[in-house]
Amino acid sequence: MSGDALLRFADGLEREAAAAPAPMASGELHLVTFALGREEYGIPVGQVREVIRVGEITRVPQAPAHVRGVTNLRGRILPVVELRGRLGLEPAVPTARSRIVVVEVGGRVLGLLVDAVLQVTKVPLESVAPPPEEVLSADSDYLSGVARWNDRLIILLELDKALLLHE
Amino acid sequence: MVAEDNAFRELLDDYVVECLPLAERVADAFVELERLWRAGESGDELLAAARGTLHTVKGNSAMMGLAPMQELAHALEDLTLGRGEAVAALLVEGAGLLVEQVRNAGTGGDARLTAAFLARIPGLGPQTATEATSPERRRAERRAADGAGAMVRVDFRRLDTLLEVLGEGLIEHSAVVEAFRRVSRRMGATDELSDLDRSIVALEKTLKRLESVVMSVRLLPVSTVFGRFPRLLRDIARGQGKRVRLAVTGGETALDKAVLDRLGEPLLHLLSNAVVHGIEEPEERRRAGKPEDAVLELSAASHSGRVVIRLADDGRGLDEARILAKAEALGIEVRSTDAAQVRALIFLPGFSTADRVSQLAGRGVGLDVVAGSIHALGGTIEVDSRPGQGTTFTLDLPLTLAIVRSLIVEVDQERYAVPISLVAETVRAEPHAVHEINRQGVTLWRGDLIHVSDGGALLGTSPATSATRRFYIVISSGGKRRAVLVDRLVGHQDVVVKGLDPTLGRPEVVSGTTILGDGRIACILDAMRILDQRVPA
Amino acid sequence: MSHSFLVVDDSKLHHQMYKLVFTRGSLAGSTVHHAMNGREGYTLLAAHPELTLVFLDLNMPEMNGLEVLTRRRAERLHPHVPIVLVTTEGTEEDETRGREAGAWDYLRKPFQPADVERLVARALAQAQERSA
Repeated sequence: MSGDALLRFADGLEREAAAAPAPMASGELHLVTFALGREEYGIPVGQVREVIRVGEITRVPQAPAHVRGVTNLRGRILPVVELRGRLGLEPAVPTARSRIVVVEVGGRVLGLLVDAVLQVTKVPLESVAPPPEEVLSADSDYLSGVARWNDRLIILLELDKALLLHE
Repeated sequence: MVAEDNAFRELLDDYVVECLPLAERVADAFVELERLWRAGESGDELLAAARGTLHTVKGNSAMMGLAPMQELAHALEDLTLGRGEAVAALLVEGAGLLVEQVRNAGTGGDARLTAAFLARIPGLGPQTATEATSPERRRAERRAADGAGAMVRVDFRRLDTLLEVLGEGLIEHSAVVEAFRRVSRRMGATDELSDLDRSIVALEKTLKRLESVVMSVRLLPVSTVFGRFPRLLRDIARGQGKRVRLAVTGGETALDKAVLDRLGEPLLHLLSNAVVHGIEEPEERRRAGKPEDAVLELSAASHSGRVVIRLADDGRGLDEARILAKAEALGIEVRSTDAAQVRALIFLPGFSTADRVSQLAGRGVGLDVVAGSIHALGGTIEVDSRPGQGTTFTLDLPLTLAIVRSLIVEVDQERYAVPISLVAETVRAEPHAVHEINRQGVTLWRGDLIHVSDGGALLGTSPATSATRRFYIVISSGGKRRAVLVDRLVGHQDVVVKGLDPTLGRPEVVSGTTILGDGRIACILDAMRILDQRVPA
Repeated sequence: MSHSFLVVDDSKLHHQMYKLVFTRGSLAGSTVHHAMNGREGYTLLAAHPELTLVFLDLNMPEMNGLEVLTRRRAERLHPHVPIVLVTTEGTEEDETRGREAGAWDYLRKPFQPADVERLVARALAQAQERSA
């Protein structure tokens, strides 16, 4: 799927997600996947409201380290969160492929700055396993699992924990 | 009548909105003046203020071509130069007439009434009278008849949304203006473009009108908050064994509901504070030669986009010696013996000079919390006091929270909005104007050394050396001042304030965000907090 | 070509009046900045070197018109921006003092839109002369 087609597709996600049956019942996870560094990450389609191009991001002084700033989403002020730091990656300069995934988590609407949006996909529940014990640490509870499917490895994120919403 | 050819007659409503409170203020002042003169006092200060107000009413009436008001204000201005009981009586009567004339400006005022009054002033001949049955009068009468319309209740949050959407409309509009400028530069003047220009101007006018309508819908009289005070006060006073009367004036003063909602608690706290700490027991008052019934005056008045609320008691006043002792006990260094600065100490955390902890005053809520709530509203609080005569708290509040006039400044390519009400001055930073004492920047401003912070250091951008910044802005409130170095003054704008999303944490130096005319987002500097706290940099 | 003006007056009504003048007729499309007192006016003057003309009321709280003029002269703030001192029944003395403090011209209340337009035209002519 090309970037633009994906953008159009993602625009319709919210409606589709609302109509979609509960993932557990169907035995599948419906994911939006994106790239950060060399890995592919996935979050449930139901949390994604839209995908937008990266416009001007205004830094907010003294904001938490994982907050990149705010951007103007059609007159609404959208906080933009950088997941890279949380995942142990260096902050990156946005490129032409970079996107902001607008998500709704725990009643808040915010944007995730990602290197690229890859796919909207369904993966069977059987392909999902817990992350290997060896890679876990005290603060890695935002990793909810790993899907291995069609030669791909998708790291599943639990956003409310990844975004430190409960601190 | 307002001449049909007066260029400004469509502003008749604005005239009444501005001049009626002014005329009422003059009328109140003259009543007080009559009392003062009878008591053998000069009342000079009051007189000078009233004269200034009359001057404004006269100028405004002249601009509108409202001769009856203009002549009346002029005559009263002259009359204030006289003295004596007869003059005082004429002033009171004339000011009352002025209030009525201004109130009925829709009819153009009644020239005969003014003439009749002028005829009674010694040394002034009778004036010519004009008939007043104009289209304006008929229109005004019609308006009055239609006035008793239906009411509708609306959830206030929907008004918030309305204002927000409108703010976005205004922003879109400035984007259109910007685009139009670029296009006209490239294409030169054409008929189509000037048509478009006219439409854009008309659209702006409509949007601005819409804005003022929405704003006026959001405004409620302060009496909606004051209303519950008399009963609460009576209960508090009873519990304290004190006798207090509450005198309220200016209850009709309008304030944005969002401000009003957050004003009740701090005001109530000040009120109970006055009863508990300020006002003496009846016995003590008797000994001091005061009436046993204490008076607590609560007043509100609007003044150029702000509302001033005053709470004055006639109690014992602040004990400055005790405040100083308390400051010492708390380890607060007091460098100044200036009474005003000593009094301002009571707004610091941990300050309560009451000897016995009462049920009300002992709830752990100090004046620092009150001051904090007022500052959070973008307002200021000041205290004045005279030993044995009483204490006055003065709150200066913005009319609304939603739109703030701001200076837009640039620091390291980032833009910030600074509420203009807190900018005392913008100064070109001459080289060598900033000195360093104990690694802190200071500069000489109006004869005082004040603290200078580098904007970059304050806002956490890579700190360019202060020497390269071209301006500093002096922010000031309640006697506190601080200068901040910036690179550029970009302009000013009425910004629609958007709150800080909780995801952004609790930054100390910014209080909100806003969208500028070009669609970029700017943070709003929390000037109050920068002043209050010793934010390092 | 759009112009930009600064009105410094403590009367909201007067701001509305200037706005009528600047949004209609030959001056339609102009940008108008508003300040409610001298202090605010001075801040806005500093922020807007591009101003075509400033209308400054004489009687105002927090820095009156003369104080604004005096300070702007002392600090040489945008000396190229002409400032009109506005008075109500101004006395000769007021106007002389205004001119001495650097007022470019004065305007007496009550004025008509045409009076304002005349002043603007003259300011523009002068600006062109200077740049020619």
